[in-house]
Amino acid sequence: MKARIQVLACKACTEMPQLLDMDDLMNVASERELVVSSMLVDRVCDPKIIKRVVAEASERDVDRVLVLACQKKDVNPGLLAAYKRAGVNEFMVEYINLRDEVILPHISDKERAQAKAETKAVAGLERLLMLQPLEKAEEVMRTKNVVILGGGVAGRKAAEVAAAEGAHTIIIEKSGSSHKTPGVIMPNSTLLGAKGYGGNFVLSIKAGEKVEELECAAVVVATGGGWAELKGPLAKAFKSAVPLYRLHEQMQTGAVPKGPVVIVDSPDPAGKTLAVQDFAWDDTLELAIDLKKQQPLEEVYVVFQEMRAFGLSELAYKDAAELGVRFIRYDRAAGPKIDPKEPTKLTVKDLAQAEVLTIPIGTLAFAAIPANKDNIGIATALRIPMSPEGGVRRGSIQRWPVSTPRPGVFVCGSAMFPKSKDMAEAEGEAAGLMAGKFVMKGVIEYGGVVAEVAQEKCSACLTCVRTCPYDAPYIGSAGKVEIRIQACQGCGMCAGICPSKAIELRGSTDDQIAQETRTMLGGDF
Amino acid sequence: MIVAKRKPMAEIAEMVAPYKTVKVIGCRSCVAICLAGGEKEVKMLVSALRLKAKKEGRKQEFEGLVVERQCEKEWVEEVEGKILDSDLVLSMACSLGAQTIGDMYPKKIVFPALNTGIFGVPEEQGVWSEKCVGCGNCIIHTTGGICPIARCAKSMLNGPCGGSSNGKCEVNLEVDCAWYAIHERLKLQNRLDLIEQVSPPKDWSTSHSGGRRVYVRDDAKLTQHQKKGKEAVR
Amino acid sequence: MSERKPKVVGFCCEKHGIDSAILAARSGRQYDASVRIIKVPCTGRVDGIHILQALEDGADSVFVLGCLEKNCHYDTGSIEGRKRVEYVKSTLADLGIEKERVEMFNASSTMAWKFPEIVSKMVDVARRLGPIGKAGGDR
Repeated sequence: MKARIQVLACKACTEMPQLLDMDDLMNVASERELVVSSMLVDRVCDPKIIKRVVAEASERDVDRVLVLACQKKDVNPGLLAAYKRAGVNEFMVEYINLRDEVILPHISDKERAQAKAETKAVAGLERLLMLQPLEKAEEVMRTKNVVILGGGVAGRKAAEVAAAEGAHTIIIEKSGSSHKTPGVIMPNSTLLGAKGYGGNFVLSIKAGEKVEELECAAVVVATGGGWAELKGPLAKAFKSAVPLYRLHEQMQTGAVPKGPVVIVDSPDPAGKTLAVQDFAWDDTLELAIDLKKQQPLEEVYVVFQEMRAFGLSELAYKDAAELGVRFIRYDRAAGPKIDPKEPTKLTVKDLAQAEVLTIPIGTLAFAAIPANKDNIGIATALRIPMSPEGGVRRGSIQRWPVSTPRPGVFVCGSAMFPKSKDMAEAEGEAAGLMAGKFVMKGVIEYGGVVAEVAQEKCSACLTCVRTCPYDAPYIGSAGKVEIRIQACQGCGMCAGICPSKAIELRGSTDDQIAQETRTMLGGDF
Repeated sequence: MIVAKRKPMAEIAEMVAPYKTVKVIGCRSCVAICLAGGEKEVKMLVSALRLKAKKEGRKQEFEGLVVERQCEKEWVEEVEGKILDSDLVLSMACSLGAQTIGDMYPKKIVFPALNTGIFGVPEEQGVWSEKCVGCGNCIIHTTGGICPIARCAKSMLNGPCGGSSNGKCEVNLEVDCAWYAIHERLKLQNRLDLIEQVSPPKDWSTSHSGGRRVYVRDDAKLTQHQKKGKEAVR
Repeated sequence: MSERKPKVVGFCCEKHGIDSAILAARSGRQYDASVRIIKVPCTGRVDGIHILQALEDGADSVFVLGCLEKNCHYDTGSIEGRKRVEYVKSTLADLGIEKERVEMFNASSTMAWKFPEIVSKMVDVARRLGPIGKAGGDR
């Protein structure tokens, strides 16, 4: 059957009809072969208009659609749903963002914008002809279990929130201690390994002396962080140095720190034996503020290379500065030093002034803490990435602040990097909510834009297996690569790297990319 | 596997400059796996050579093809028409593939686009290291599974030499001393007595000397009768 | 004769890459119309061949725009993208073609200023170097 295309253009935004000759654009589009319907509408998001548009699509037996409007996520999802009901596959509806990619950025260049818009429409029509209908499938989650690794502040909060969502929570706690939380607590247990993917994991858990298999739909990593034994050269040179928490405890008992206080985030405390999270963080700021309030006349220095105070904690940074706490930022490549012969002074090169400063020390505290050693085993088992400092890495900070790049695995609290109790609890709440909602969906939706292997071309070289961040490709029973589509996230890294060109990403094939590039380059603008 | 590496682009570009119709032929075996001459590299090379020709205003035609195993006639025959149609075949297989095409079509000019280097293993993605030189007489059962012929700079049979220090080789301090590794391996296996046994000079007649070596498996060879039968079917 | 219009291709990832371009547009920033945005799901999807073919098809310069490396939606995608771009650059340099015609950039969805900067840089390159080969122009 030949393709039958509908072109749908929207002139809702005032810029659209003002800056673009929409009729010309529609003429260019409608004159193309196989376009059986073209409609210029006032507002594509309007349900009434959607109804009319889709009715026409049905009548003309349309099987693919080009939408000339703004970006897909800004258009009423009702449009796509209506097309779906009318029998148009959702992957055969192509959105062209004329507003943000052509009109707004080229307001003063009307002529070129017009040519660009027309070329984009043509490229979109060509692309439509190369698309294949794709289907999504669902797999039922076998359990509603959320496994939480670590029963600290963050972990307990995560359990509480996930349980409130309706999930079954199981806390895997390394120590024997137990707390009051909903769900199950497995004391003296650790994670050994994991199979499966988000929605249907099978974990292998060492509980006491036994190894058990545990099915779950989501995992929350809440391992926390450990405190330092002081082993490095700074601590050796300055004998009475303490970890930050000890200084905090001392102050709680009313002790007054001696002389100028220096808080440093150098990786020093653990010597070279451990990965250390050498950041200043929200508790560093809170303590500096307390110190300065207690003894306004005594200097407080925060010597740091990276400040990790997010959200409202940023205000603490400002407060501290206003109270007179001195912040000195150094470069990781040249950390602070204490001469053992003269252990009352710390020298450090200030990045802002590019000068070496000498700071008198009365009290020395380390803000840096070593990462939890268990993180390595957990990251290996769950196949999630780690930060260079030994923490568990989250996905994109804006998009996934408590998610790992692996779907169904969430992370919170000091497992990522040091946090104050409040922050850890807040993150635990977020991670619990994410995990709870994830599990309560009850099904894993997969398919659509996923990788596809042409096995006759596959050399079984393992390059994709090694490169994929989601472990989607594996060598199947035929000795060639297959894609675990439940795990595939549709990034196309495998397709980009395959030396035998045996993998294509549906909807973004080499031919589609090449054709779109060629058409766009053919336009005169 | 056989590990090869693309020749520098500039060298390839110069080689192909005088020829009008160039077929670039890759291989899906070893060279694809070592990221030197699979379909992806063929496409990249074709595109790059076209750009070069365009830049210099030369009219040349490049076409990329890939065969399953270029060292076997049957696979090469699949692209026979293209080969016969060319002024130059630029082989992106190992030298075995390039020579197979050359032997099959002696009038055709076949140039190598790769430098075939080593029998190597992928240490990690993108890193291949030599572990065998194909001496034809394997001795690694006496050396803890580590080949001193390939991995010792001096191919010593009784090592280490005086140039081994801190596990590194005097020839290149970045290279591990093979004999140090052998010592460590044997120690781990409680077989250190082996290192004290003096190995006599090796029989090198199985190695590359006196012309090319041919390995024959008589029971697999087809008889004249069988071959005739096959030809009749064709 | 009117001035030749440069041709720039930008392979932008659908995540932070395209979002940074959209934010730029919505913040009222203007950039040269010569840029042709080609959306890819992730810069790890970009193959060197896409870049080379774009140059063959008449692009004067090509850029690839992905998420920040430590903040990539697909974890390691923009690192893969960078490696592909570097490989193409070295290939071009080897052939005596200006490697600055091809660049990798990273942006986060909140960097409104970044996309116009990238475009202006690549348009400059395109103007300065002109088309590849004598056939294409009167350089």
